[in-house]
Amino acid sequence: MKLIKKTIPLAIVFTVGVLTLLSYYVPHKVAVDFVETVSKWENIVMAFAFMLGLISLFRTHYGKITRQVPGWGYSIFVFIGFLAMVVPAIVTKGRTMEAGSITALGWSYRHIYNALAGTMFAVLAFYIVSTAYRSFRIKSAQAFVLFVAAFILILGKVPLGQLIWDKVLGWTGYTVSQVIGWIMAVPAVAGKRGIMIGIAIGAVVTSFKIIFGIEKQYLGRD
Amino acid sequence: MKETLQKFFKIDRRWIFLLLTLALFIPVMKPLGLPNKSIAQETERVYKAIDALPPGSFLMLSLDYDPSTKPELHPMATALVRHAFKKNLRVGVVTYVSGSTGLIEEIFSKVSKEYNKVDGVDYVVFPYMPNVVAALTQMASNMYGIYTVDRNGRDVSTMPVLNGIKNYKNMAMVVCVTGTGIMDSWVALVGDKFNVPVAGGVTAISQPGYGPYLQTGQLKGLLGGMKGAAEYEVLLGQPGKGTSGIDALNLGNLLVLVLILTSNIILLVVKFL
Amino acid sequence: MSEPWMIAGAWLATGLTIALFSFLYKDNPFFKIAEHLYLGAGMGWLFQVSVFSVWGPKIWTPISNGDLMVLVPSILGLSLMTQFIPKISWISRYGFTFLMGYGAGLAIPASLATDFMNQIMGTLQPLAGVSSMTPLAIVNSLIVAVGLVCVLFYFFFSVEHQGHFKKVSNIGVYFLMIYFGASFGNTVMARFSLLYGRFDDLYTFSGGNYFYATQIILAGMVVYFIVHELLRKKEASEGEAAQ
Repeated sequence: MKLIKKTIPLAIVFTVGVLTLLSYYVPHKVAVDFVETVSKWENIVMAFAFMLGLISLFRTHYGKITRQVPGWGYSIFVFIGFLAMVVPAIVTKGRTMEAGSITALGWSYRHIYNALAGTMFAVLAFYIVSTAYRSFRIKSAQAFVLFVAAFILILGKVPLGQLIWDKVLGWTGYTVSQVIGWIMAVPAVAGKRGIMIGIAIGAVVTSFKIIFGIEKQYLGRD
Repeated sequence: MKETLQKFFKIDRRWIFLLLTLALFIPVMKPLGLPNKSIAQETERVYKAIDALPPGSFLMLSLDYDPSTKPELHPMATALVRHAFKKNLRVGVVTYVSGSTGLIEEIFSKVSKEYNKVDGVDYVVFPYMPNVVAALTQMASNMYGIYTVDRNGRDVSTMPVLNGIKNYKNMAMVVCVTGTGIMDSWVALVGDKFNVPVAGGVTAISQPGYGPYLQTGQLKGLLGGMKGAAEYEVLLGQPGKGTSGIDALNLGNLLVLVLILTSNIILLVVKFL
Repeated sequence: MSEPWMIAGAWLATGLTIALFSFLYKDNPFFKIAEHLYLGAGMGWLFQVSVFSVWGPKIWTPISNGDLMVLVPSILGLSLMTQFIPKISWISRYGFTFLMGYGAGLAIPASLATDFMNQIMGTLQPLAGVSSMTPLAIVNSLIVAVGLVCVLFYFFFSVEHQGHFKKVSNIGVYFLMIYFGASFGNTVMARFSLLYGRFDDLYTFSGGNYFYATQIILAGMVVYFIVHELLRKKEASEGEAAQ
């Protein structure tokens, strides 16, 4: 049982991992053919992965409805929202536009999904402002540097801020856009590049651990 | 005095919400008339790179954003498509974010009419694919291994727009507009490996993170957030939602600065009282 | 679609937008309904796109044309679903190991070349061409190089930061702070842009051609909050009286 439960899966990760890695460097036809096939397969396997989220969402809310937990009525709207996309999609065969005109699916997309997804993230604007007011404290030299960089970016990205800069700091001979350009191209590059190299090393090490079966938490428990 | 000042900190945050609403909604109703004037170098680099492509070149657009980042990225993508059509480039569109399909349709239903471009002849929109890494790797040898039909199920092998296009070698440039990390895959798996010029458009949030790629030339240029969109519209000479958007953000940005400064000054005063 | 449908759509979009925004004032049933609709609609959209863009052309069509090879990845994909059945959840390992092996195999060369080698080259290369550079460009290249070394010092040296080590890694922190500051500034801008997008739609739908959807729904929401507050106060006073 251990063979099919553990050994074969670990053999799959090792074989697929090593062959994919090697094929990156070997431009031989065999390697190219291998990568083509595996990529096609990968794409299809991935097309099922989102079902994990879907089933999990449905199970949670179906459970709430059947157990009639407080607020279960809201869970019905999860299914209504789902059907509001899927039913028109079946009718229109997944097309949002037909002969230059919007279809039922396009209508649902524009007026339900678009409005909801857009607003969900737009709400964060309010919280970032109130957090900035309540928690942005310039208490150390490091916080001051962070503040100065943020200040210049927030000011200089809008025309009104550029006008204010020109009035107050125009004598320096540098426009705020030039200063932003410098921050983004010089010190911020050094900071981000350090993070990038750190992540790259981490990614390589983790990937090797996965290929050699050292890291196998994703397999779950026996 | 000290208590009065401290009250300012405990102010109901809904007052701040109201202030922000006013600062952003008033300019929407009555534009300030302060459009964007400065152009960032990275934006200009994208514009020049596309502008230099000879007519008929194949431009691959990877439009990977959904309605949650639409205000920043949709104007960018629209301006890029306009530019490509204006220059009579052939355009291919791929996407790896499911929510973007409806937005892509919106762009092409509108912009293709402006320039009399025909689906399948001047442009092609491929269907959504769930795995960007697999799709990009596959396209290196033969893109028809993964894209056999367009988003409406039509066979792509006979489409005039794809005449002579088989893999990255035949593409003049790739521009990825995204609110995700998908551009990293384009840089790593396509730009770096096959020497295809890759440029991008990203949200303002991720813009600073691409500085290293710009410095090394791994990215040929970058449009960042609403400002990037506004800049591109200026270069193109066709103001759109980016231009009106940047005008509307004027007061909001200043409000944040005023709030941060106010709270810190109060803190300083309270400390000395 | 016909005009009445577009107007109905505008009312729906306005209603959903205002319902989500109403949370900023106070949690309420309209927000909860919109929030749950969002979860369902997002999943519904992903589901329909997957069915029509991938399952149909990539799985169903090849199988009906006799290409049975696609059954292999399809079964691997389906194996993932066994996650939900504890007794046979080990079957999902076949799908996961395939995904992980492929991902890891590609991540190694891509990370090494793009985010490691190219970044080091990008830092060193400008310094090699000093003779043809302007003084400012030389200074900038040096700042990037010194900054990078300091940041890496901060990240990697596991020895306790003391003396010179501490100074170097401290400088690294300042570079990180500039990056984080720039990111914060841009994040503010990005969030505002999204809010502008929604306000722009609300303003469009406030026009006479949409029968003043924004104003009417907003007024309705205000009335709801007032009535709700009054009822709550009434209940509270009745409760007190009963005691």
